[in-house]
Amino acid sequence: MAAQRRKHKKKNNKSEYFFDYSLLFIILFLLGFGMLMIYSASSYTAYLEYGDSAQYLKKQLLASILGLIAMTVVANIPYHFWERFAVLAYVVSIAIIPVVLTPLGISSHGARRWFKIPGIPLQVQPAEVAKLCMILFLACLVCKLGKKAGTFKGIVLMFLAPLPQAIMIWRITSNLSSAIIVVGISVLMIFVADPHYKKYLVMGTGAVAGVIALVYAIINMETSEGGFRIRRIAIWLHPETDPEGTGFQTLQALYAIGSGGIWGKGLGQSMQKLNFLPEAQNDMIFSIICEELGLFGAVAVILMFILLLWRMMIIANNAPDLFGAMLVVGVIGHIAIQVILNIAVVTNSIPNTGISLPFISYGGSSVMFLLIEMGLVLSVAKRIQLKEV
Amino acid sequence: MLSRLKKTAHRKKITIAVVLCVLVLAGLFGRLVYLMIWKADYYSELATQLHERERSIKAARGRIIDRNGTVIADNRTVCTVSVIHSQIEDAETVIDVLCKELGLSREYVTQRVEKYSSIERIKSNVDKTIGDRIREYDLAGVKVDEDYKRYYPYSDLASKVLGFTGSDNQGIIGLEVVYEKYLEGTSGTILTVTDAAGIEVEEEGERRIEPVNGKDLYISLDMNIQSYATQLAQQAMAAKEAESVSILVMNPQNGEILAMVNVPEFDLNNPYELTVDVNKDVTDKEKQDLLNQMWRNGCINDTYEPGSTFKIITAAAGLEEGVVTPQSTFSCPGYIIVDDRKIKCHKVAGHGGETFVQGTMNSCNPVFITVGLRLGVDKYYEYFEKFGLKTKTGVDLPGEAGTIMHSKEDMGNVELATVSFGQSFQITPMQLVTTVSSIINGGNRVTPHFGVKVMNMEGTEIEVLEYPVQKGIVSEETSATLREILELVVSEGTGKNGKIEGFRIGGKTATSQTLPRGSGRYIASYIGFAPADDPQVIALAIVNNPQGVYYGGQVAAPIVRQLFENILPYLGIMNYNEE
Repeated sequence: MAAQRRKHKKKNNKSEYFFDYSLLFIILFLLGFGMLMIYSASSYTAYLEYGDSAQYLKKQLLASILGLIAMTVVANIPYHFWERFAVLAYVVSIAIIPVVLTPLGISSHGARRWFKIPGIPLQVQPAEVAKLCMILFLACLVCKLGKKAGTFKGIVLMFLAPLPQAIMIWRITSNLSSAIIVVGISVLMIFVADPHYKKYLVMGTGAVAGVIALVYAIINMETSEGGFRIRRIAIWLHPETDPEGTGFQTLQALYAIGSGGIWGKGLGQSMQKLNFLPEAQNDMIFSIICEELGLFGAVAVILMFILLLWRMMIIANNAPDLFGAMLVVGVIGHIAIQVILNIAVVTNSIPNTGISLPFISYGGSSVMFLLIEMGLVLSVAKRIQLKEV
Repeated sequence: MLSRLKKTAHRKKITIAVVLCVLVLAGLFGRLVYLMIWKADYYSELATQLHERERSIKAARGRIIDRNGTVIADNRTVCTVSVIHSQIEDAETVIDVLCKELGLSREYVTQRVEKYSSIERIKSNVDKTIGDRIREYDLAGVKVDEDYKRYYPYSDLASKVLGFTGSDNQGIIGLEVVYEKYLEGTSGTILTVTDAAGIEVEEEGERRIEPVNGKDLYISLDMNIQSYATQLAQQAMAAKEAESVSILVMNPQNGEILAMVNVPEFDLNNPYELTVDVNKDVTDKEKQDLLNQMWRNGCINDTYEPGSTFKIITAAAGLEEGVVTPQSTFSCPGYIIVDDRKIKCHKVAGHGGETFVQGTMNSCNPVFITVGLRLGVDKYYEYFEKFGLKTKTGVDLPGEAGTIMHSKEDMGNVELATVSFGQSFQITPMQLVTTVSSIINGGNRVTPHFGVKVMNMEGTEIEVLEYPVQKGIVSEETSATLREILELVVSEGTGKNGKIEGFRIGGKTATSQTLPRGSGRYIASYIGFAPADDPQVIALAIVNNPQGVYYGGQVAAPIVRQLFENILPYLGIMNYNEE
């Protein structure tokens, strides 16, 4: 598709540079669809809680507009402009996390993950800032390392770089899932930067075997012993044994998904959103999509994300330089990991942990930073010189 | 060149990474297919259960109807008033109205109305008129549900037979328990779709599963006879200052019980109200024990020493075995020596020379001891078992007591001698009536019962209840001989207080001293049947611990006589002796 368009554009020879309209369309579609689903999933509870059924929708709309403006600005700035801020970004991402502990911090759902910027009605989640900063910093680091990126030293350096942020996100904001995403992004970037294969194959196999062994050990262990995480995993395997506690949300999500069937109940017809499913407009929005739009709708959403990744892959592969390619790879990693983990949690394929679905889940700072990242990708796309290809 | 190569390497890696992600997403798609197609029914079923709130609609319990078609256990429509916290709009008005109409304290109602729960019951068993009145206020959040409550129009008649029901309309004692499976209906349900807080989602509507009413039970009891027998029992109890009086009236041919009285009875509409006075500080357990005592059906749940009425059984065994004939002669010196024991006759001076018939008319102990000893332990025990005395009668009431009898191995001549005139063992009054019936009806041991048939409320017959009959307990000849002898007992012997001019009555009296002997406590009893040559009705009256005169012939026989005087014409059993 991209190649065709490229050919087409070559013939007309109107533009030297490439603007990826299909990527823009996918982003806008996901944002619009997300807001529709947020309204559907939250209107009932929003009305009960705030007396305004569009409460969540309005906030999301505001964040999306701000995000789109930021995206446009970033897309029009040559991405090399940001290279000089790489070290600053790294420092900022470390410094910003403890801010939640200051009086600016906001706790919600039992965790202190947000802080507010005085004068602006939006809340910022430092984990989102850290993800963006990390992508920028690692992309720069890969370029600086050059050939050394494939050496042992280079790999260790790249792996150690995001650890302080990941540990702080985990320990200070008790947000394990965001920490996993930060580490995941950097692992993907290392994998791409390093021309070797063998060790990743070994490590990948080792990791899969380790996880299987761990799960097997837990299955054979009495659920009464072991701590909170082990219990969480035991509940993951049998959510119906704990319908009041941790298994509750998982079970409610499964009810929603299962009652959707192939065609779904129809838009707006979800029963589970009537306060049965906690966080229906947030981390669990995918299960409401399944309930209302059925397997059909769920597949459409997954296909949309695959298309998004595909577009970004094309851009990364055609980026004019390594820095641009690595920036896009970071964004690919961010979105792919979140989509996979979110759907896996909602379908109870992995233990329950809070991860939002990019562009669709309710969450202002998440959508804003995602759009800034998309701005970076579009900016890289713009630098693809069609004539050269 | 190098940078070109490196770039290709990156491209490959990026492509691999994205392809891997797509593969994982494909795997998750597979998981979705599994959840949304294979497990769809399972999860949607569970989800529906979660979303629907049930309100049950009680089914009407089947009625109990006597042999004349009189309804003796019925249902009354009552209301249950509840509030749904989340639907209340004007709490003050709700509290005002409920206080006023239900006569409850303001504090109590306020507490209930303000309690945050999905549905809170304010009061149940509210009269229907009051329920209707509350409904007319049309208050948001107030629910008036109709409900059925058992109602017994005759309040205490046959209380221990009918039994009563508990808060969920389930049988607690009596026929209500035994016929639970016919009487109980199947509750219906109103299923409403609600959100997690229990608020109804109106556009979803409601599903109704209609209740199925219970079936009517038709019983053999005759409320006219029951009512008259109860009066007689109450009079006797008052006159003799007795502890309790039981009267059992049965058709000896088929085992249908016409009346079963155990005074003092209790009020079926207030079964938890004690009939005896107690001081206020009884513990709950003591109160429960007293209630259980009050609910006991003496005819079935308790055993006693039958005394001389049991001589009918000894006579039947002796005649059947041929160890005695009506003409056999005996001599009574006022006592009899059995092994090393001297057992006295109730007539200390002795009855002198007498035939077996005269011995029965005199209720002479030595005569029956002699008959018993002639049979011997083995034979006597054999007849005891053959007559069915070791087994329960199988009456359709709960908690029938078993017979308390010597084991065969422990039975010597002395024990045999006492058993022969009805002492040193215990049976229930029901057992005595059943056994005597089978001896005088030609040898068919019938199963005593109340339940006759089951019909649904529209009047269609569902089931006719059948009961086993064991034939050939005694020969027709022995049966006829005993009927004659027992008629003579009434016309000329100890049972002459049971005699009614113009009717042929058979019967036997008994006076037994309760254990421990010498306590001065007696049980006076009399068993009578009519017509003597073709028994259609048999009645047993037992007076527990009468004061003053305590002889069965003087205390119990007149009760049955008065009963027969009234019910024989009523049953259409007329002037049989004018042949």
